[in-house]
Amino acid sequence: MATLRNTYTAVIARGERWTGQVYTEPYEAAWASEAVFFIHLMPDSMPPSGTAVARVQISPDGLHWVNEGTEFELPTVPDTVSFGRVLNFGGWLRLAVAVPNSCEFKVVATLSLKA
Amino acid sequence: MRSDSHPVHGDPRLSRFDPMERVIYFDDFDQGMNGWTCLVGNYQDSLDTMTTSYARHTQPMLSQVTHWDSGTHGSFDGTYALKIATRPVAGERNTAIKRVTFRKASRIRVETYFACKPEANELKLSDKDVRAFGVLFDLQDREQRVMPHLRYLNTLNGERRHQWQFKQRTTPFRAIGGSEIVTHDHLSPEDWEDVPGGQQNLCYNEIPTKINWHYLRFDFDLVNMCWLGFQCNDLVLDPSGLESIKMPAMANLDCMLNLAFFCESNTAKRTFFYLDSVLLSGDF
Repeated sequence: MATLRNTYTAVIARGERWTGQVYTEPYEAAWASEAVFFIHLMPDSMPPSGTAVARVQISPDGLHWVNEGTEFELPTVPDTVSFGRVLNFGGWLRLAVAVPNSCEFKVVATLSLKA
Repeated sequence: MRSDSHPVHGDPRLSRFDPMERVIYFDDFDQGMNGWTCLVGNYQDSLDTMTTSYARHTQPMLSQVTHWDSGTHGSFDGTYALKIATRPVAGERNTAIKRVTFRKASRIRVETYFACKPEANELKLSDKDVRAFGVLFDLQDREQRVMPHLRYLNTLNGERRHQWQFKQRTTPFRAIGGSEIVTHDHLSPEDWEDVPGGQQNLCYNEIPTKINWHYLRFDFDLVNMCWLGFQCNDLVLDPSGLESIKMPAMANLDCMLNLAFFCESNTAKRTFFYLDSVLLSGDF
């Protein structure tokens, strides 16, 4: 019988209200070879008054971070989702999100990992 | 069960444990998450109704215990350990939980090999940056819900304590949104009591990036819902005077057998609680 690939989904922001500069907590995923970040703008959110971009960051040690190059816009319509795919990311992942101070995004963000 | 001898096991991975007759689960985190997940709080209609301390909990992860100065440390017998990480805020906590039910009320035993360290973001000893770490069961029979809690208090108010503690009180219940759902914060900082004879120095080592795995065993009796004792390395304590949080049985929790591990930060630095593996066994 074939061995199924290991997979795990981590919720990295649960109903958080993002405004200003936001960094998600470091997440270790050296076992995974691919990852997809999803950001769900929650249904009870007010439509944001502006736009924001999430940038994927990677790290050699969980302490020092650098942009990986993948970036994607946050959804602006409540109850919709946006995403960014990542490969070859080493051991740590997080999102850096710059939200205009006049703006707020209430989100559930998830990280879907696959070996 | 021969706790005072060296059992011969068909599976050599079990030879460093002393399981009771039936292995309920043996989770080696080199194989994956094995059903360990985030302990979220109860809510109704909106996540905003969740108790703040639970809303702060984040997902556990699989760590190869890599440090900036020495590379990958690895786990006890492989590459990966389950990692529970607090946020970098003083007094924060985090948990990981596995939820099953019991098919027979019996004696049960949880064993693990663990390590607990602060994030290595300073070139300092940092041993007082971890406040505490511990383990709890969340159980229910037909009459009551019982929650034995055990933690190692490393530091409090800037002082080294190195003291095992237990808890027999929780916070008052709070109804959520006028519904039947209630919540309480059984891991709140209040009401921890010292375990008699529970003073113990662990092997913190000399810098934050050197870790040593420790053995922990915690026995509980599901028939009488009472403690049977615990062991951490060479400290073995009987259950005298150790009690649990108890409350009348709640709806929808029959035969619950939840096991959770948790850690708490003492400073604005992440605390990392690593579990190499977890073995739950019972004598049935």
